[in-house]
Amino acid sequence: MNNTGRAMGEGVMRMREDGNRNAKNPFGLFQRGGGNDQRKTVTFGDSSSVRSIPLWSLVSLVLLLGFWFVSTYAWGFDGDLVELPDNLIEAGETYDSITDKQRLSLCSQNDECVGSYSQLLTPLQFPSMRDTWKAFGELNDVGFKDNTLWGHTKASLWRVVRGMFWGSLIGVPIGFAMGLSGRWRGFFDTPVEMFRPIPPLALLPLFILVFGIGDGTAVRLLIFASVWIMIIAARSGVQAASLPKVRAAYSLGASKRQVLFRVLLPNALPELFTGFRVAVGVSWGTLVAAELVGAQEGLGAMIFAARPFFRLDVIVVGIIVIATLGVIMDIILRYLESKLIPWRGKV
Amino acid sequence: MKDLSVTGVDMVYDVPGGTNVHALSNVSFDLAGGRLLSLLGPSGCGKTTLLNILAGFLAPTGGSVTLGGEPITGPDKNRGMVFQQGALFEWLTVEENIAFGPHMAVPWYKQLDRRFVPRSLRPFVPKPGAAEEARIRARTEELLEIVGLGGFGDKQIYELSGGMQQRVALARCLANDPDVILMDEPLGALDALTREKMQSLVLEVWKETGKTIILVTHSVEEALYLGDRLFVMAPRPGRIEKDYSLPFAEQGLTMEPRELKRSPEFRQKSEEILNIIWEMEEEIMGRAEGAI
Repeated sequence: MNNTGRAMGEGVMRMREDGNRNAKNPFGLFQRGGGNDQRKTVTFGDSSSVRSIPLWSLVSLVLLLGFWFVSTYAWGFDGDLVELPDNLIEAGETYDSITDKQRLSLCSQNDECVGSYSQLLTPLQFPSMRDTWKAFGELNDVGFKDNTLWGHTKASLWRVVRGMFWGSLIGVPIGFAMGLSGRWRGFFDTPVEMFRPIPPLALLPLFILVFGIGDGTAVRLLIFASVWIMIIAARSGVQAASLPKVRAAYSLGASKRQVLFRVLLPNALPELFTGFRVAVGVSWGTLVAAELVGAQEGLGAMIFAARPFFRLDVIVVGIIVIATLGVIMDIILRYLESKLIPWRGKV
Repeated sequence: MKDLSVTGVDMVYDVPGGTNVHALSNVSFDLAGGRLLSLLGPSGCGKTTLLNILAGFLAPTGGSVTLGGEPITGPDKNRGMVFQQGALFEWLTVEENIAFGPHMAVPWYKQLDRRFVPRSLRPFVPKPGAAEEARIRARTEELLEIVGLGGFGDKQIYELSGGMQQRVALARCLANDPDVILMDEPLGALDALTREKMQSLVLEVWKETGKTIILVTHSVEEALYLGDRLFVMAPRPGRIEKDYSLPFAEQGLTMEPRELKRSPEFRQKSEEILNIIWEMEEEIMGRAEGAI
């Protein structure tokens, strides 16, 4: 009786959810709250009924891109006012194929063209979408600073992976020790509280002087950035184990070792995962900044190398790749979290 | 069945910068194996402290506790415990929760996890713990049936209702085949209907397994219905005020629970105990007012 009741309830919920994805509502674009939330009469201040409506995320994205487009290109040059110099024609270029920056310099030699010029931002202030797209192709094919875009991305990602690996490997045991023993907590409290508030970038000059410029320095900086976060995550993960749970394990015949590996460790997974996600975010931010000065390859190094050449397009491509990868990493970690810790938030 | 013997147990908590709290004072009793003891009393009377001492989680400041002649010095799988809630392992399925105790006794090299070995390779990978695994699995199935959760073995803990979770907790405790089962308000968080069903289940398990069960509860009705023996405890200092031997648990095995709880004897006992507890509460209140 009880079971059938629940099953029916679920059926009704599912019908409602499916009802939100139909021809009038493709991909759930217009979906507001799910299920019963639509029957609520008061939603202002009820945070459980506030969900991100996908349509509006799309609107803001379109607005951002639209602003970029309008301010850099749409009011752009009048094409026929300038004739291409011979050397460019011989190189097989047309007026459409040259970059905005080249076009600007040609235009600046022509009074009529300068008069018709109506961009909000010149190519020297911000690259147009078309230039950015071209730079993206160039970075993929030819590369910049001795490496293709993928090469730089790979170098950056690999550094983050190494930094997170060592940061977790060092931080988690220390955090567990701090959660389990008063002696270790006292011992590590001082360094953790002292070093945690230091922005990793403040240590970059010191790291460069001590370890030199190179891959190892960036990785060490990332370890420094992530290790405190992982220590605190592991410590609070151990502290999250409720006394009944631990006592139950002991009264079921578990040894200390078994309590550690079979109760405390899995029980700390939600906290560890949150810490990991935060640490990845912080590492990613720290890394790109660290590469600006401390590395030969990597997205940050690429951006920094583009600066003296006024390659704004390369810089913007770098920024977009960094942002996209940050979002992708967060999505992957969230997905992993829902797979590995399905009980989170349900207990 | 092993007899439990508690002699002159004292428990004094040191409160930093304040007066010491006398949680238990000279508590002595003997409990024959296979009986069902209810501990009842107002809050602060040391029921849970006594239970924790019996489980071995706390060492008393004075006196001795022995089970079958052996002193209790720490937690042991001989004395299983069922908690109010939140003591199940959410990362394990129902089945794995129940098998937790038996698994702890299996050496690590017999527990090699084959989940990550591709199915096609499994025949070639040695499996030293196959016999243990089969034995534990069979026992788990059996326990699932006993607590009325047949077919729920693969479910996750968070998919179960509160009552079902307590059934799992009971089964997990039984899996180790302990001599004594200690229950710390196991039904306290359940709604009234589920609670009644669970009470019957506890009685059934008690009858079928013949284990010693010690149950802490706030509910007079529950204490009377389940208690083969009943201690009414009094606070400050925590002590055993009354020691009843009751017929209701035996009758409950054959009688309809509602009918039993309606019977004049049950009603009368219930009134009697409620009066005792009321008097204790009045006394505490009076003392508190006097202090003010």
